[in-house]
Amino acid sequence: MKRWGLMVLAVVALGGLGWLWAPGPATPPFPADLGSVEVVAKLVEVPPGAVFQRELYHYATILRYEVVSCRRGGLTPGALIHVAHYDPWKPRAEAGDARVGALGGTVRSFVAGDRHRLALVSPLDEHYMGGLVDKYFGQHAGVTYWALRTDAE
Amino acid sequence: MANRFTLLGLLGFACLAAAATPAEVATLATEVRSLGWVAYSARSPRGDWEIFAMRPDGSDVRNLTNSPETEDFYPLFSRDGRQLLYRSMPRGQTVSGNDYGRQGRLMLARANGTEAKALGGDGEWTWATWSPDGRQVLTLQPKGFAIVELATKQVIRTFPRGGFYQQPTWSPDGTAVVGVSNGFDTGWSIARLELATLRANAVSVADCCTPDWSASGDRVVFSRRRPHGGENGGYGWTELWQAQPDGQGATLVYAEVGRHLYGGHVSPDGRHVLFTGNLREDGDPANQGAPMGLLRMSDTPMIAEHAELRKVYPLAKSGPALILPAGHEPCWTHSPAPGLPR
Repeated sequence: MKRWGLMVLAVVALGGLGWLWAPGPATPPFPADLGSVEVVAKLVEVPPGAVFQRELYHYATILRYEVVSCRRGGLTPGALIHVAHYDPWKPRAEAGDARVGALGGTVRSFVAGDRHRLALVSPLDEHYMGGLVDKYFGQHAGVTYWALRTDAE
Repeated sequence: MANRFTLLGLLGFACLAAAATPAEVATLATEVRSLGWVAYSARSPRGDWEIFAMRPDGSDVRNLTNSPETEDFYPLFSRDGRQLLYRSMPRGQTVSGNDYGRQGRLMLARANGTEAKALGGDGEWTWATWSPDGRQVLTLQPKGFAIVELATKQVIRTFPRGGFYQQPTWSPDGTAVVGVSNGFDTGWSIARLELATLRANAVSVADCCTPDWSASGDRVVFSRRRPHGGENGGYGWTELWQAQPDGQGATLVYAEVGRHLYGGHVSPDGRHVLFTGNLREDGDPANQGAPMGLLRMSDTPMIAEHAELRKVYPLAKSGPALILPAGHEPCWTHSPAPGLPR
């Protein structure tokens, strides 16, 4: 009886390992030409009140990043940039809609210190027309980017 | 179920407004009955959204669009009251409480709804607002503002939108636009844009929307969310406010507990104000919408009597408010044109 019990345990354990190793839904490859800027950047912080769930309103929130490396767009490592993310409480793969078009990425939530691979465009006004949460209002005067794709790096 | 909630809400509102006597309410109704027409969008008995016109006391309701195959919404009389703009989209789509100005296509008709014709296609001529003389409209799109001559459909001027993103309204003197902007600290600010200089200033930076000008252009009426601690599902309640176009002199117009007050529209003579009293934050466009209301500006600042609200506004008055049919975005003209035979 004890031997049967051990066998069942082994089968369950192997099944669990198999589930862990099974490939999840395929992540679309990061497009080589999406947007005008492509960087790897560290999310400096998530200010209090910058990300919240609202079912009846869509909004974009501006988050501050430190550029780690730049593949396209001429940004300098170490530079601080400001990026608008649409409906930031949603996983990036589920954020796009008829209002803003296709968005994507593997990031499911925004956590300070995480590194993201970002495809960006600017100026923001030409790509997004809606409510904006800007906890850095008055603290940045440069370009604000619109995030098209946000992958975990 | 939704209808039951609506009924309960209306009964609640009737109790709240009971501080005014029936005689005072009747006097207000008589006072406004002959003062032109109010256009609004509402669900018809067939279930589609249509543009209706009524007398300002809620009487003599008539269907201006009569098009069961489309959803018609967002009516705007020209300042002379002879023409009507509205938007139209195929039956079955839901009107969005935030994006209604860019849904469907823009329609132009005579004020009584006849001779309706489309201006452009779906998603074009978005957030159109009348010029003072009714010969042009100003539109708002991601690329910026555009002023379009109606007779020729020629764009005669474009300029950056500078953070304005919905509900623009052209001033009665033609010199400025007010709208909702994300360029002033909060994403839902009311701002004014001077058309000669393209300088913008904030009118109110609290959570605000649906701004409109008084007919004289010296005040802007808008909706503003009362500071709250997360009640009502995190949305709090939205009040009607007014301020000078430079943002000075902001004062309460009207507040309730239990309804969001949106779509403020001042009568052409400046003596009254219309609004939509949403029982739900989004106005419940998938169902019947929400009842509109009307009150005297001379009775403001005013509240529907409620102990908690009285603590917030101890000096507010308590006057009569008319309860009007369910409808969105009411618009008032003193012109007789909407009532002319079709």
